[in-house]
Amino acid sequence: MGVVALLGTRKGLFLAESEPTRREWTLSGPFLTGWSVFHAVLDPRDGTIHAATNHEVYGATVHRSGDRGETWERSEGLGLPEESGLTLEKTWHVEPGRPEEPGRLWLGGAPGVLFRSDDHGASWEVVESVLTHETRGRWNPGAGGMCCHSIQLDPGERDRMFIGISAAGVFASEDGGETWTPANSGTAADFLPDPFPELGQCVHKLLLHPARPERLWQQNHCGVYRSDDRGRSWERLEGNGLPSGFGFPLALDHRDPDAAFVVPEVGAENRVTPDGRLGVYRTQDGGSSWQLLTVGLPQRAWAAVMREGFASDGLDPAGVYLGTQSGSLFVSPDAGESWLEPVSQLPPILSVEAAEWS
Amino acid sequence: MVVVVLPSILATEADGRNRFDLDAGTVGEALRALPVADRVLDERGELRPLVNVYLDGVDVRESDGLTTVLAGDETVRLVGAIAGG
Repeated sequence: MGVVALLGTRKGLFLAESEPTRREWTLSGPFLTGWSVFHAVLDPRDGTIHAATNHEVYGATVHRSGDRGETWERSEGLGLPEESGLTLEKTWHVEPGRPEEPGRLWLGGAPGVLFRSDDHGASWEVVESVLTHETRGRWNPGAGGMCCHSIQLDPGERDRMFIGISAAGVFASEDGGETWTPANSGTAADFLPDPFPELGQCVHKLLLHPARPERLWQQNHCGVYRSDDRGRSWERLEGNGLPSGFGFPLALDHRDPDAAFVVPEVGAENRVTPDGRLGVYRTQDGGSSWQLLTVGLPQRAWAAVMREGFASDGLDPAGVYLGTQSGSLFVSPDAGESWLEPVSQLPPILSVEAAEWS
Repeated sequence: MVVVVLPSILATEADGRNRFDLDAGTVGEALRALPVADRVLDERGELRPLVNVYLDGVDVRESDGLTTVLAGDETVRLVGAIAGG
């Protein structure tokens, strides 16, 4: 058994592999040369790699590989219906379905769209309830477009799932995606006339803790939040150690529902890490306090980490993985205590996922 | 037969083939017959804005676009616009 970090970059996909110690890494790639890989994930059910791929000239699509990147197939029929008046702008995130749902995957994209596949990613069907949501007219694009970037499935309740769209907010479904309810109570939208609207919040990343699925975390344009009631209400968490509530990426520790990691940025108008260093901040008390982690991280850096550029694995202790826009991969094999930089000088890293493979 | 020539990234998507000999009455028919039609045309069947199509060296947007009639002995060359970084 080994570990692989899937590194989606602006110029292709790279794979970094290691033994479970996660201290020595071997890099392969690039795969999917020429494509911007917004997100790549290893489907734990069958080992297929799925990649949300985009090209300025040749559009948005999804590629998949069943042989660790040696060969790739492109999804068919990915697009929006004519009556919507919309065309697919970007693909952002592929989320494998639950273990008991073989062949099912979810895909988020822009402009604020969700797709479902029931054939292992060969083809995709748009989720009409998101495309035609009654509040769509009140959604607005963020700097990265109106992207559906977060898709979270409750592992215990087959019909419960959550999506995050920037800047529409968090939406919850209790019926497998047939209907969606805004789930933004208590999260701020300081850029709107009403700072606490029903929707319109700029969620940057949304994660559900698999061991306590009623608990959600989000890094928002306007703060870091935790919900303990399936998104019905949110508690703002920054302060008490966090230098800024603004940031994009978010990672969790699968063993500890009270732990989370963020990489704050100075603010919306200066999107670099604060204090001239690359700082990862960790909470181990549900967000009441935050600890700056620095061991092995550059102490002179003005870095940026994209919303998909942060991940954790399922090992014990949890590995945490961070990819920067300046092309470095940082790995912590000990839940953030110390960090290595096993890969550098890649193209800008857009996404990181970590998985076990044999 | 019209000859369609693909740029390298699309040839990779077409199992490495960069040249297709096709029977087609129009530029649109030729493009729709390609295994990478969905990368050249959007879901409306329109030419993607940054894909340039040259018919014997002439940009088809300067003639009738996808409805440009083919005589059958031309070369259609696809070229990505100079864009990006």
